[in-house]
Amino acid sequence: MTTPYAILTDTTLCIGCEECVKACKNENDLTKDVPRRWKRHIDDLSSTRYTTIVRCPEDQKDHFVRQQCRHCLDPACVSACLVGALQQPEDSKGQPIGPVIYDKDRCMGCRYCMMACPFGIPRYDWEKLVPEVRKCDMCYARLFDDNGQLIEGMQPACVEACSKKATIFGPREELLAKARRRIENDPDKKLYGEFEVGGTSVLYLSDISLDFLSFDQELQEEKLPDLTLAALSKVPPLAAGVAGVMAGAWWIIGRRMKLAEETRQEPSESAQSSEKNKEK
Amino acid sequence: MNTRLAVVKTVLWALVGVLAAVTVARFLRGLGASTALSDAAPWGLWIAFDVMSGVALAAGGFVLAATVYIFGGQQYRHFVRPAILTALLGYIAVAVGLLYDLGLPWHIWHPIIYPQYHSVLFEVAMCVMLYLTVLSLEFAPVVLEHRWLDRPLFRAIHRLLHGAVIPLVIAGIVLSTLHQSSLGSLFLITPYRLHPLWYSPSIWILFLVSAVALGLMMVTAESLFSGWLFGHKIKVDQLAGLGRAASVVLFVYAFLRLAAAREHIDLAFNGSWLGLLFLVELSVSALIPATLLLFRRVRTSIAGLAACAGMTILGMIGYRFNVCIVAFKRPEGTSYFPSWMELAVSLGIVAGGTLVFIFFVEKLKVYPEEHAGEPDTPSGGIAKADYHPGSMWSMSPDSLSGPRRYSLAAVLAAAVTAAFLAADVFSGTHSPGTPVSAARTLDGWIQDRGDGVGAGQVVWTRRKLSPAAPGHDASPVVLLAIDGNRDGRLVLFPHDRHKVLLGEQDSCDKCHHQNMPFDKNTSCCECHRDMYTLADIFDHDFHIDKCRGNAGCIECHERENQAKWKDRDTARACVECHQDMTVEGSLIEPPPPEKRKGIAAGYMNAMHELCVDCHRQKVTESPQQYGSDFAECANCHRDADAALFHQMKCRAASGGDTYSREPKQ
Repeated sequence: MTTPYAILTDTTLCIGCEECVKACKNENDLTKDVPRRWKRHIDDLSSTRYTTIVRCPEDQKDHFVRQQCRHCLDPACVSACLVGALQQPEDSKGQPIGPVIYDKDRCMGCRYCMMACPFGIPRYDWEKLVPEVRKCDMCYARLFDDNGQLIEGMQPACVEACSKKATIFGPREELLAKARRRIENDPDKKLYGEFEVGGTSVLYLSDISLDFLSFDQELQEEKLPDLTLAALSKVPPLAAGVAGVMAGAWWIIGRRMKLAEETRQEPSESAQSSEKNKEK
Repeated sequence: MNTRLAVVKTVLWALVGVLAAVTVARFLRGLGASTALSDAAPWGLWIAFDVMSGVALAAGGFVLAATVYIFGGQQYRHFVRPAILTALLGYIAVAVGLLYDLGLPWHIWHPIIYPQYHSVLFEVAMCVMLYLTVLSLEFAPVVLEHRWLDRPLFRAIHRLLHGAVIPLVIAGIVLSTLHQSSLGSLFLITPYRLHPLWYSPSIWILFLVSAVALGLMMVTAESLFSGWLFGHKIKVDQLAGLGRAASVVLFVYAFLRLAAAREHIDLAFNGSWLGLLFLVELSVSALIPATLLLFRRVRTSIAGLAACAGMTILGMIGYRFNVCIVAFKRPEGTSYFPSWMELAVSLGIVAGGTLVFIFFVEKLKVYPEEHAGEPDTPSGGIAKADYHPGSMWSMSPDSLSGPRRYSLAAVLAAAVTAAFLAADVFSGTHSPGTPVSAARTLDGWIQDRGDGVGAGQVVWTRRKLSPAAPGHDASPVVLLAIDGNRDGRLVLFPHDRHKVLLGEQDSCDKCHHQNMPFDKNTSCCECHRDMYTLADIFDHDFHIDKCRGNAGCIECHERENQAKWKDRDTARACVECHQDMTVEGSLIEPPPPEKRKGIAAGYMNAMHELCVDCHRQKVTESPQQYGSDFAECANCHRDADAALFHQMKCRAASGGDTYSREPKQ
């Protein structure tokens, strides 16, 4: 089984040369990074930078960590998007092929995806009048043909640019096996992305904690879309239930009030007039 | 004329005027120029207030409709029409607010054609859309009662709607239940980002129950407000009944809220400010008003009702703000506070809604019993102004009353707002820029790497600092500390060594590829003035003076090009006059002369282009001499240097001994 495809980044090998950033910018025709009000640092992820090298704030060992979209296997952004602008392409067998991609023609700009992402990855074109959500798409157009088949020998631009082989591309299963072998050689390393939020297609090997990439939280295995699905599955019964209860309450209360009215009126009025009332 | 009403309307019109000016800014320059939103805070005031709170504040419509039509609370019948109208206007305000907030507002209808059934937001969108329709149908009979629409066709529609009132009310209740709760479900997907005191799997129940309480209190507030505004008699007895119901619902809400947060309740008392916020929010939104409303004296006094309604409304809006913004985790060191333009839009939409409400109350029978026995009076037109030939003024005693006053208020407010709009609104958002400072010089030594590679490696040090530094017996060389934006990540550049290696006195040109007039070695930062962006280095005013004022335009803006704009593109190239400015044989591959018109590249890019290309070339030419890592980043960017440099707080100056050691504290 080859799908889904994935990227494995080994933070112990990265020297922080930013060749991947440069390659990504070239591939995606991104403009220069310019300081902006909505950018904390020039080298943060932004609408002009889909991948970047960050450093853990409390890192004593001087690691470089390449930040990018994780391409979750069960992406929160895809389940959050109400118009299906964020998509997870599948191959002919209905298996996700890895990347999570964006269709700007569907997007209405609600930015719920940015709220939903547990890693805070999607970025927005704040300065533009026709803004788009911006994030890494694993070079989808370059890697895959129309049927979701990997074009032979193709790699994402960032992987191709990495001279230290710190970031590699391949079928997720193969990369997981490779990662486990590396952990055997160096037990200090920990694998990130195998199970977190249901597994991601961008895996990390690191000997420092990478929780700083997910808002200082240790991510659990639970798939985020399942959390909303649990609530959404209650919608049809809830709707039917509320409608039923309301209709029932209206009928019963209306009937009781009518009876109360009639009993109040009977002594004073004749039977004829109450029949007339009924006709009305 | 009711003065109070006139003053309120004037203020509301002024707010609408402000909204008009800000609207231009929002749709002319986009979200970045008009809001304080950022990648760290993608949802701000417009979502938290206009959408989240707006929907909840409009809950009075379905709550009252259910009370009266379903549960037979006939004594509240006269609250229904204003409640439905408030709800209708509230939902329209939500839709308008969304048009401001959406990045692509013209795609607002896309959920209909691209449905994504797994999204909670899709369900919310559909329910709001349908409920807006239901509300319009529920309110339509009030419009159809107007004497202008007293035609057979409209009477038939009126009868039809009257017959359908129960199905409509039930549909409204179902739709409201669904989307009021789903606004809470939106946050189910964010367990890692919403604070545990607010996040809970049952957050959707909290949103629904709080909306019901809010609906009851909104009807109270709206009834008090219109009583105050129009001088209607306030029906305290019925409001007391609503208050009692609200008290029960608020207690239920408070109980559920505490139950939902029970596992993390210790966070509320650990002294963190979010814990304090949780306690304040819960008290103001539910506990205090619910307790107060238990007392009959409070329930039956207008001041007591107003206070309770005010607290609940404020507190429940606060709840939605906290969920959306305050208790929602952002990257460290980022913050969000709405821009004044966001505030102006939110206020303006509320003001516009209130004006429409007042209009309907004045023209239609929203409060049927207030109109009983009142003859239909034609509304007063605008009095014709008197023209006074002596003063040339056209004034009449009432020329500043009614519509004129309101128009004036709106136009004045719009004009004043336009004057206060930030420069960003006219020029688009721009980068604040990162000015570049000149490289500083220091003494240093060059140490051989000891592996026989000739180019060596730079060390720098100060005799006093480390007398045993390698090569300290050699004479010091001058190093340039290149740190354009002064962020401490510098490159130590042995200038003289480069001069020697590139060919002594003839080599200046290789790097100093363009010089200021009468200069031979203009510094990089004199033209590459911004760290990251292009810099304009052409001094237009200076050239105007030199070319004898306006008569000299044609010196650069040639006659053949007069048909076009006089701009940078059509002007002559600088080198046509300044033949000495550019230098032949430099390492920089300059753009063709006709393209060089006073724009300099960003400092970082300029430096990298100059240094990296040459280093790469050297490595390919003779790797033995320079070492294989000669073109790698770390060859020049050595963080160890930077750390030491930082520690010593080197000060900018010229000359060799320019740094001093800060005394340790």
